[in-house]
Amino acid sequence: MTNQEHDRASELIMRQGTEEIAAQDAAWLDLHLSQCPECAAFAASFEQTGTMLRSFPITASSSLVMSTQARVRVRAEQLREQHARVALMAVSFCVGVLFSTASAWLWWKVGDWVVEQMGLPHSIVAPGVLLFWLLPAISIAVLMVAVPHRLAHPMLVSLAREQEGDVR
Amino acid sequence: MVASAFSSLAVMETEEAQIAHGLRRRDPDLLDALIEQYQHRLLRYLLHLTGNRAVAEDLFQETWLRVLEKGHLYDGRNRFVTWLMSIAHNVAIDHLRKRNPASLDEMKEPEDGAPFEPEAGGPSPLETAVARQQHEMFEAALERVPVLFREVLVLRFQEQMKLEEIAQLVRIPLATVKTRIYRGVMALRPAMKGGAR
Repeated sequence: MTNQEHDRASELIMRQGTEEIAAQDAAWLDLHLSQCPECAAFAASFEQTGTMLRSFPITASSSLVMSTQARVRVRAEQLREQHARVALMAVSFCVGVLFSTASAWLWWKVGDWVVEQMGLPHSIVAPGVLLFWLLPAISIAVLMVAVPHRLAHPMLVSLAREQEGDVR
Repeated sequence: MVASAFSSLAVMETEEAQIAHGLRRRDPDLLDALIEQYQHRLLRYLLHLTGNRAVAEDLFQETWLRVLEKGHLYDGRNRFVTWLMSIAHNVAIDHLRKRNPASLDEMKEPEDGAPFEPEAGGPSPLETAVARQQHEMFEAALERVPVLFREVLVLRFQEQMKLEEIAQLVRIPLATVKTRIYRGVMALRPAMKGGAR
């Protein structure tokens, strides 16, 4: 017998039970097993391994299942909130870009008019408009550096208060 | 017969498509039902893979969290159980890499003396003792089998998976699946010769 035949036999043994084997292949396997003690021994070991493995009664406890379900629900909620937050930020960003782009022309014209009224040189219009745009962000940054506690998140503030209370 | 086979295939496709749809929406009720449905199979797979109940239970929870997070990647074309087991396989590998990056064979915890709880199932005390002895011998032999072989044996015998499904799940060639099954069975042979006959 050739190695090819042994390989074919072992593959058919492995496939039997979970996959449909053609009648022709099944007949060939039966004949091979009757003539090859090595493959017949493998077939018997294979069968026994399956029987022994299936006989282990491993079950998950109800507490494991319940705690898993609870963890999955909490995580699902977190992901949903995270998703909603990201969506909100994306929408806010888009609206911001849209409005600032639409209003840029208007502010430029306003800057031009102010410069004309005040008799100032036209070269300061561009830096003036830019500064006007950046002013809110700069002001907030300065305030955050100067008075960090007042601008902190309300939850952080209440936590800090609680901790202070604990210390006292 | 062909018609019934076709209709059962169609039912399966519908079920898998429903699961895929639910996972995309991160439907908590669907996830609860899936956890209930696959609890024993998943734990059994992880327990055989790790050889330690506490570790297997941790990985069980981790697997379901990953199913929740990666649920949108399941397209419903393959069986859900195959996809679930591949997630569990990846979780187990990640766990192993954190613990010991050198080898998959080190996955089992040697300090845990009793990873499985064989059921004493015989009507008479003698049969019970024999059955217990057989289980203990098999269990000891199974613990010595490298995890790479043990994994494919569990998938083939307990999950009743096709060889191609195992290859897809473990991401190895079909020939390697056959070699691992063959070597796994041969490694367990002495224990079965000594105990089961």
